Amino acid sequence: MLSFLRSGPIAPLFECGFRPFFLLTAASAVVALALWAAFFAVGLPLPATPGGPVVWHAHAMLYGFAMASVAGFVLTAIPEFTTTRAIDREPVFALLVLWLAGRLAFAAPSIPGAAIAAMLADTGLLAGLIVLVAPRLWRDPDRRHLSFLWALSALVVTTVGFHVEALAGADPLRWLLLTTGLLMALIVVAMSRISMRIVNAALEEAGETTIEYLARPPRRKLAIFCILLHAAAEFVAPGHPVSGWIALAAGAALLNLLNDWHVGRALLQRWALMLYLVYWFMAAGYAVMGIALLTDAPWVSAGRHLAMIGAMGLAIFAVLNIAGRVHAGFEPDRRIWVPVAITLIAGAALLRAAVGVGPVSAGFALAAASACWITAFGLHLVYHLPILTRARTDGQNGCAGLAED
Amino acid sequence: MTLVRNWLASLPAYLWSGWGAIASLLLFLAAWEWASVHYGALILPDPRTAFATLAGLLADGSAGPELAATARRALTGFGLALVAGSLLGLAAGVSMTASMMSRPIVTVLIGTPPIAWLVLALLWFGAGDGTPVFTVFVACLPVVFVGAMQGARTLDGQLRDMARVFRLPPWMRFTDVVLPHVVSYLFPAWITALGISWKVVVMAELLASSDGVGAALAVSRSHLDTAATLAWISAVVGLLLAVEYLLLEPLKREVERWRVAT
Repeated sequence: MLSFLRSGPIAPLFECGFRPFFLLTAASAVVALALWAAFFAVGLPLPATPGGPVVWHAHAMLYGFAMASVAGFVLTAIPEFTTTRAIDREPVFALLVLWLAGRLAFAAPSIPGAAIAAMLADTGLLAGLIVLVAPRLWRDPDRRHLSFLWALSALVVTTVGFHVEALAGADPLRWLLLTTGLLMALIVVAMSRISMRIVNAALEEAGETTIEYLARPPRRKLAIFCILLHAAAEFVAPGHPVSGWIALAAGAALLNLLNDWHVGRALLQRWALMLYLVYWFMAAGYAVMGIALLTDAPWVSAGRHLAMIGAMGLAIFAVLNIAGRVHAGFEPDRRIWVPVAITLIAGAALLRAAVGVGPVSAGFALAAASACWITAFGLHLVYHLPILTRARTDGQNGCAGLAED
Repeated sequence: MTLVRNWLASLPAYLWSGWGAIASLLLFLAAWEWASVHYGALILPDPRTAFATLAGLLADGSAGPELAATARRALTGFGLALVAGSLLGLAAGVSMTASMMSRPIVTVLIGTPPIAWLVLALLWFGAGDGTPVFTVFVACLPVVFVGAMQGARTLDGQLRDMARVFRLPPWMRFTDVVLPHVVSYLFPAWITALGISWKVVVMAELLASSDGVGAALAVSRSHLDTAATLAWISAVVGLLLAVEYLLLEPLKREVERWRVAT
């Protein structure tokens, strides 16, 4: 019945788990933000979700854009980290159907049962990921990657919480904020794995032999602890100064993480720099949120968007462009559009943060930030649609990395 | 000179590593804030109020002279204890008999509570600078003394013999064999003593002086002004943190570099 997954025109799309999901990540980055920008610019009506347009936007970016990238990353990276065999095409397809169902159900809240369907689909996607990777993570000799399992499990809880609160007719935004905290922690966990490879490759490229980059666990754990504590404090008492201090602590703990990163000129290599910027944006985001909460300034949203656009956007863009190419048999892209796209995402973060902080027209800044973001992920889509939908040409199969690795 | 140059060169990386400490301190402030919400502003004002009060005290010029007076007393007592304790301790460490003899005396000195010394000092020196300076001195002395004595006692005899065999000039023997070893014992003792000096001076001033941070604390206590109390405490602790982490800790790392470099 599902023979189209293994032969036929769209079979290459299912050669490895990341392919359909990374495609949808970039596509939903463009579509979800275009709809949001159109809502602001010309008043395009958005689906009547509980909690209003802000909840729609947050949910679209988190459960559309970010969760697609999480699914693609987990489906590809966990088998690699645990050196287990690749995940079959059928379960990937099932997860894909769940992701699409979640988007459709949330887009049409007026249809009877849509809210229940959205809950089942969003939760099912995460639960399905857990079912697929939990045995591999657990059987790994040292169980070094269990933090992915904890993060996914916590995401199931916040997803159920969000939908239950939405079904009850209350404003479910606080569950989405909790989800953003979990995703930030997940980014720190994932980045520590990715950065070891990228930064050391950059050091090698720069001819540096005396310095080695190590992502040290104690610093990472302090940062994750602060991030999660902030998410919990914000959930329990939104806007409270206690969470302001914790946000400042999270910012400092993230800057503390960069101690490992100061390895000299190799840091200027594009992939290393991009990952480095992720932490800077995350630290700045938490710092701005903290200062805003402690001085009663209206900058919390600006800080959060610095972290969401700058840190999460760049981290996901990095994963799409590193893992998304290497496992399709292509070297990371050396063309000029990559630094352009990085600059556009960074620019989008700064422009969005300027709304409400600087003397900028909010309408202009929002439109410009949206344009930057859509262009960056649009560029990615243009360059990667052929790579993701066509069979590998390097003689390797499935999710295998580059031949010389 | 090399010491200073290395210190300057390692400063950026060292300062950056301070973010971890800052993160912990900010978490502590979060706990403070939470406790102040829980207990109310009268019992425990929140950190921002305390810092604002401190900023106000600094801005209107009333904090400067008090802090200067406290710093003068603490540093005088600490400096005296540092010189006397280091010299006496080294001298005691050289001779086995002297160290045996001095150990019980040190135990007596450490065992006597600073508040008891304070009462004696009040009787001896009255309400001037002498009382807090003496109390600080006598509280810091045994700590420095023990550090210096242990440094001298544990000096590796074989290294000394080797230096003699190679006919190292006395000055080189002192700077390359004796000093690195002794300083690695002395430095931690000095830092501990500095911490003690700050704590003891405030206590001495609270009971014995009419100026200084301790006296200001006594005034804020009598006015039931918790915000000012916390402001003064923040000032003292902040100064101590600054001196320890910006001056002593980097120096200590530089001095002890040979330990990890082996």
